[in-house]
Amino acid sequence: MAAERVLVPLSDTVTVRQTVGYAVQSCPGEAETLEFHLVVALPYDTEMPEGQSLTEDAERLLSKAESWVREDASSTNVTIDVTTSVLGDDEYLFGPRDYARTFDSYAAAHDIDRLVLDPEYQPGTTAQMLQPLERELESVGLAYDEAPVERPARHERLAGDGAERFDKIFAMFWISYGFYLVLGDPTYWFDLVTGAAVAGIVAVSLAHVTFTFPLDRIGSPIRTLRFGLYVPYLLFEIVKANLAISLVILRPSMPIRPTMTRVNARVRSGLPLLALANSITLTPGTLTVRADDQRLIIHTLIPSAREDLFEGSLERAVRFVFHGRTGARIPTPEERGDTEIIRGDDL
Amino acid sequence: MIEQLRFWAIIILLAFGLFFTFVSAVGVIRLPDIYARAHTASQTDTLGAGLALAAVALALGWDSMTIYAVLLLFFVFITNPTAAHAIARSAAESGIVPLTDETEVDVEPDPSTPDEGDSQ
Repeated sequence: MAAERVLVPLSDTVTVRQTVGYAVQSCPGEAETLEFHLVVALPYDTEMPEGQSLTEDAERLLSKAESWVREDASSTNVTIDVTTSVLGDDEYLFGPRDYARTFDSYAAAHDIDRLVLDPEYQPGTTAQMLQPLERELESVGLAYDEAPVERPARHERLAGDGAERFDKIFAMFWISYGFYLVLGDPTYWFDLVTGAAVAGIVAVSLAHVTFTFPLDRIGSPIRTLRFGLYVPYLLFEIVKANLAISLVILRPSMPIRPTMTRVNARVRSGLPLLALANSITLTPGTLTVRADDQRLIIHTLIPSAREDLFEGSLERAVRFVFHGRTGARIPTPEERGDTEIIRGDDL
Repeated sequence: MIEQLRFWAIIILLAFGLFFTFVSAVGVIRLPDIYARAHTASQTDTLGAGLALAAVALALGWDSMTIYAVLLLFFVFITNPTAAHAIARSAAESGIVPLTDETEVDVEPDPSTPDEGDSQ
């Protein structure tokens, strides 16, 4: 056996060091040269302001990992060849499916037959990524190996550093205190005192459950304000679509044309995707049947609702809420080729 | 004057709420399959219930109960699409084939081409 080629996708996790170590020592001994392909797959939107620092972080991580490989392999007498590269800087990588596809095409291009996966692998996304990624890797047929790592207990990791934890508790406290006073009487001292006590307990015990992502001191309030702008827009869309659907239903001939469509949405997993899928369902005429990561399967009742969906105005509005005005300026799903009408039995 | 305006605003909101609820009921009866019915069962209802609650909030005036009505509205808007999605998803998972234009056109089952291709 001449060479053994291994692909190791890296991300900034607590277990990335151990994963690299495992990748080196798990290689069978008979290979003469070991080729390590260390890659960092960048998440969506590298052209956005934070994209530049993402690229720099990726390069720093790659050079660190390269020295780890050399360090670990120095005791053996095989030739080590390390190739590092940053993937996904020229395309949008959203869900696990995109990552799996990128890794697969990289592996095919470099004749790689094994992938070592970090169990904590989390490239930029806040949602837990491992299980869906494993599923997608299986579906593209790329063999992978999960590195057995020892990791610190999760609650320590979630707690984060002090400032992050304080932000979460602070935000949670005021949200629950506000809610308590809305239901109670904000001028009555008893409600003020009990409310503070209850909000304190809620904030300390539930803050890390409510916010699974680090809050941004400037970004998060702005997002909340932008969400306030989004609500009237959504209401307007709901009323408009409701009238269209009502007319169709009340017409004796009932000219419905139900179709199943697949739309690949360009919003992040978690809250943005939830907001988009729920908004789509709230607008009559479109109903989210499946949401597998960014692939939304949507049932549409009338052609005009489908056209609205393919124009992606809700998607742009959700991107405006989470990414601001520059983030909203993307081509419509139809122009991107992210829309598809599928057969009813092809769910 | 203001009182009269409020009165008629309440009447109009209630009338529209009633109208959309009625349409929703008609839709559930008339539409062909579970997916199409899920549209109208939950969605038109959202606006029906929403307008009725808005009328309630207006009728109560500036009262702590108004806040409850607004909060109810908020929760209806979150839970309703979630319920609709749950119904549609479980229908899809139990293998109910939605009635679409294509299924009506080609009743003969053609050798199904695996259409798993992504649109990229």
